[in-house]
Parts: sequence; C-alpha cells; structure tokens
Amino acid sequence: MIQLHNVSLAYQNDATALSNINLRIGKGEFVFLTGASGAGKTTLLRLLYGALHPTRGQVLIDGQNISRMTSAQIPLLRRSIGVVFQDFKLLPNRTVFENVAITLEVLGWGRADIGKKVMHILKQTGMESKIGMMPQRLSGGEQQRVALARALVNDPKILLADEPTGNLDEANKNQILNIFKEANVRGTTVVVATHDRRLIDNSHKRLVSLSNGEIVEQVEKEETASSQQA
Amino acid sequence: MNRWKKKKPQAVNKPNIRPALSGSGFGGRTGYYFRRALANLRQNVFVSVVTVGTISLALLILSLFMLVFVNLENAAENWSEKVQVTAYFDRELTAQEQTALRAKINAIAGVEKLNYVSRDEALKRFKSRLRGQETLLEGVRPEILPTSLEISLKRAHRDSQGVENFVASLRRIPEIGELQYGEEWVRRFNTFLNFMRMLGALLGGFLLLAVVFIVSNTIKLTIYARRDELEVMSLVGATPFFIKAPFLIEGVLQGGAGASLSLLLLVAMYEGFLHNTGGFLTFNPATAGLSFLPLEYAGGILLAGVLLGFMGSLTSLKRFINI
Repeated sequence: MIQLHNVSLAYQNDATALSNINLRIGKGEFVFLTGASGAGKTTLLRLLYGALHPTRGQVLIDGQNISRMTSAQIPLLRRSIGVVFQDFKLLPNRTVFENVAITLEVLGWGRADIGKKVMHILKQTGMESKIGMMPQRLSGGEQQRVALARALVNDPKILLADEPTGNLDEANKNQILNIFKEANVRGTTVVVATHDRRLIDNSHKRLVSLSNGEIVEQVEKEETASSQQA
Repeated sequence: MNRWKKKKPQAVNKPNIRPALSGSGFGGRTGYYFRRALANLRQNVFVSVVTVGTISLALLILSLFMLVFVNLENAAENWSEKVQVTAYFDRELTAQEQTALRAKINAIAGVEKLNYVSRDEALKRFKSRLRGQETLLEGVRPEILPTSLEISLKRAHRDSQGVENFVASLRRIPEIGELQYGEEWVRRFNTFLNFMRMLGALLGGFLLLAVVFIVSNTIKLTIYARRDELEVMSLVGATPFFIKAPFLIEGVLQGGAGASLSLLLLVAMYEGFLHNTGGFLTFNPATAGLSFLPLEYAGGILLAGVLLGFMGSLTSLKRFINI
C-alpha cells in the first residue's frame, strides 16, 4: 500500500529533512510515527500526500510512484487520502456542515447525497448536534472531530494525521484516538505522526521512530502490546 | 458449486464511490461554481465590500478623467471647425464663374463645404460685427469690399499638413488670387491639440497603471486572506480549476459591481453639478456644459472592471495555488 524506498529529501538550503528512509505500511495498518520536533515526521507525511517530492528514492502509494505523478494526477491521489492537522485547518466562515461537505463537493456528489453522507459521518464523530455552527464556537476537541469528519467523509483508503492531539486534553485525545481506530477497523490505513508517548502507549500499534530524518527504531504491533503486558 | 457465490462482499471502505453525480456535466459544475462564488461573497462580506469599493473608486477616477478628456476633445473638435481657407476676389463672380470654380475646387480632396460671400453679404457681416458703432461704416459702399469663397475642410484635412497641402493644390487654380487660412493659428492650434492628446494619453496611461496596480493588489490581499481555503481545497483533492473557478467568478462579479458603481457615481456627479460646469472652460459657449461619456466609453469602463476582477484574481491565484 505505502512504500518508501531509499527516500531522501533535502530542502533548498541543503538541510537534510529525510535521509535514506525505507518503510512499508500494509493495507489496513495503523502506524504511529514518532520523534522529536524536527525529526522529519511532518516531512514524511507531506511526501505521502504529494505536497513534497523526494530528492532521491521513490514513494509508492498503491504501486503508483508519486514522484512521477503529474500535477493533474496529484488531486486524484488526494481524493483517496484524508489528512488532519494539529491546527485543524477548518474554514472559519463556513459551518460545520459546509466544512465537511467540501470533500464531497470536490468529488462531484449531488447535494442530497452530500447531506446524507455528511450527517452520517457527523453522527459517527459525535458532532451531529453542531452541524450548523461556525468552527470558532467549537472547542478544540470538537474542531478536531470536524476536521476528522472532513477527512473521513469519503471513506479514504489512507488517513494521515500530523500531531492531531497536540492541542487537546486527555478526554478529547481518547475520543480522537477512538475515531482513528474505528476508521482503521473499517479498512482505512492510518498513519499518525505524534510525539505524544501516552497516545502511542495506549494504542498498542506499530511504531516508527524518526530522529534527524532517519528511522531509528521500528516496533511492531505485537511487541508494543507485549511490552505493555510485561 | 459456484465458487463466486461463496465470496463475501468486502465490508471495508469503498473509496470515492459517487452515488449520484449531480453536476458532472459542464452546466451542472458551472451551477456549483456560481453558487459557491455567491456563497463566498456572502460569507466574506467585509472583504467583498472593500474590493468592490476599491474597484469602483479607482474606476471613478479613471472615468472622471475620461469625461474631462472626451469633453476637451469635443471642444477641440468644435474649434477645428474654424479651420477654413478663404479665397478673395476683387470683383463679383457671375453664377457661371462660381459654378466653374466650385467644380475645380471640389475636385481637390478634402473639401467639405463651399460658401460664396458676395459684396452685399460681406457688408452685412461687417455691419453685424460693428453693431453699435455703425457710424464708422457711414459712406462705406459694398464695392470697396472684396468677394470671397469660404472653403471648409473635412476633419482629416484640418491639421497643419492637410491645410498646407490643400492650399498648394488650390493655388494651382488660375482664378484663385489671394488666399487666407490663418497659417499661424492652424499651426498653433494643432500643436496645442497634439500636446493635449499626448498629455492626456500620458496621464491616462499612468492612471490606468495605478488603477491596475491598486485593484490587483487589493484582490491579491483578499485572496491571501483566504489562502487557508485554497490549501484545504487542494488537500481534499480539488483540481486547480475547481479551486480557481469560484474565485474567478467572484472576481468578475466584484469587478462588474465595482465598475457599475463607479458609473452610477459618475452619473450622480454629472447630474449633480458637472453638467453645468462646462462654462468655465469657455471652449465652446454655444454648447453650454459638459456632455456625458459616450455609451461605448461607459461600456469600456464596465468591461475594464470585469477584466480587472478576472485578471486580478487569476494572477493572484497563480501565486497561491501550488499543487
């Protein structure tokens, strides 16, 4: 599903953001990317949704090499990838409904179907009662749930999250984590970049640790679980 | 046994299934783009008002300049009608001679109108010019005045070169004796006219540049303020055209609204006080007051507004959409 072969990325000022990354994430997997700030987590995610291209190596999504994609193909790739961020990136002058509906409008869905599907996903994320509200009137946790609804409303194959719980308290973190898990159960491959150790420990999922743009440790799901039991 | 029947349908995600595609055709999508553009205008009222206001003020300045320029051109046009060549004769011409001469003169390119002034007519004009001081003309008889032929020239022949060429051709006619055409006046008038046109083009050019600069920067700022929207749209897989289309429609609507507002303001200003201020120019006392912009100029301003809105949005979007 997601494959990175000898991927390196250097910015224009020659600062190396990623160096020789080899990573394989299977279909339906749940993976945490962790590491200190500047370790390369965000850069790695940006490579996966085509916002950056590697200086060297290959990034394959479903066997398709992103580096070789034309600018017309990138939007099509993104329609199968949901992305959420620490700062939610909700549009402040649109309602919760309109924020979530964007994803389906882009796909060309009819208005009636958009209404049904948006309502459905907002129910799943527990936000159906806030459907007509503006994002500024929501709490951080609620805003992240709306952002997640927007990312998940078209049942993407892949969900990428960059520090999704960075601005949230414990209760909200758990809610968000549960939504990730539910999406994963439905078949979505989930990649979460976070440095929140508690979130990782509570999840018992595969863990990839980055440091200075390199993968320094990979812990498989079972091992994480067993290390918890020990 | 049919092995296919045993297969259970996958209960997992089926990405990008589109249950009902309303608007998959061009017309449907256009409808979406317009709805989105109108919704954006509603949702960003302040920004829209600022943009429309800026466009209308910038175009108002430009259209005021055009109004003045067009009226100056009109005045100059009226003035240029005074450019005429007069041939003087020391005797009264017979009707036959007049006809023959008219035919010869009419053969020269550039003649608009010919008017024969007899001695009696000349005296009448003289008297009317000296109204109130008729005593000066006591004892003056028509015989002492020359007869003349006044030749008005077509518009294209009223410049210095045109007049000179015409006069040169006229001199080749043997019956023509003394000619007067106010060479110095024609030269000065044309120099002034050319200077005025150059100044107008220069000022108009600078004004236009300023308008383009102000409007495009205002639009750039409004789009910059909404760059998150562009980013989110591209993250959920919108094509550049899908992102741009509503913004471009917004630009066109704002440009059109701004231009219409500027024309309305211009009409209000014209009706309010401009239409009777022409007197101070005293270029043409016969037609009191300024005339309004011709329809094609008003149409031009409207088109300029629409184009400014469209191009301003297009160039700004290019900068902010990076897929």
